Amino acid sequence: MTIEKLQRSATASTPTVDFDPTSGVLRLSGESYPENAFEYFRPLLAWAGNYVSQARTPIVAEIALSYLNTSSIKSVMDLLDILEAAHRRGSNVSVRWSYAQDNERALEMIEEFKEEVTLPFFIVPVAT
Amino acid sequence: MNLFALKEQLREAGILISFTGSFSHSIIEELGTAVKKYLETAESQKTAMVDVFSVYIEAAQNVRNYGERRLRAGQNDVDSSIVVIAKRDTRYRIYAGNIVEAEDIAELGARLDRLAAMDKAALKEAYKEQRRKERGPDDLGAGLGLIEIARRATQPLEYTFTPLPDGRAYFSLCVEI
Repeated sequence: MTIEKLQRSATASTPTVDFDPTSGVLRLSGESYPENAFEYFRPLLAWAGNYVSQARTPIVAEIALSYLNTSSIKSVMDLLDILEAAHRRGSNVSVRWSYAQDNERALEMIEEFKEEVTLPFFIVPVAT
Repeated sequence: MNLFALKEQLREAGILISFTGSFSHSIIEELGTAVKKYLETAESQKTAMVDVFSVYIEAAQNVRNYGERRLRAGQNDVDSSIVVIAKRDTRYRIYAGNIVEAEDIAELGARLDRLAAMDKAALKEAYKEQRRKERGPDDLGAGLGLIEIARRATQPLEYTFTPLPDGRAYFSLCVEI
């Protein structure tokens, strides 16, 4: 069964989502504090879980989330757990998380995610 | 009512934003956008900007989620909630208030006391532990909001419970940044 692209446009409280099964690039950017983060992320997590089990290309999560409320943080942790499990099974998975270099709080948040996983995880400061 | 006098009172108290009523997600989002715009022009410290916004979102979503649970339980007075953001000199204060059911008062107070006794390292540990916990099927949040608020605060969290005649209490939280 082929996997379709998963795309969502940003709103004030939800991120831009672009998960591309052909290139293996999973993009997430913007801010996330929706009414119900668990409902919002459920299809994203289901897609990722399904995709990592059959991906034939290296998987790169290109993340540029600058602010997450706590229930979104929990959901992004779940996404990283899915990627980490694939990494441990031998898949080629990495995370590249970029942030505006003057946003110290974003950096702290990203570092706290990085501490929870062993997959290749690159933190990329972007000049503002 | 003299609105000019009220407006002057709000200004003297340093109140930037105050909302009282029933919190919907769209109100939280709209006020959040207003808070962010204000901070972008008035606040040069990026960390203070992010902290104020983060505490506002967690406090408002806590009030909303608790109100949602009470609505499901048949309570219809969830419009008595309030969230205030005030600034005095260079310090911000975020206040959140709502009615708490009698059976929830002790637990909430105990939780806040535990958080107030923790230093930043202990709060980080508590945060990481809670982030790893499985969610219950009916949970609206991750149980992380108050920990996040305590981590952002520059002073220990202050709270009061004002008793109501029917055994419930009006809960007020004050967070300084």
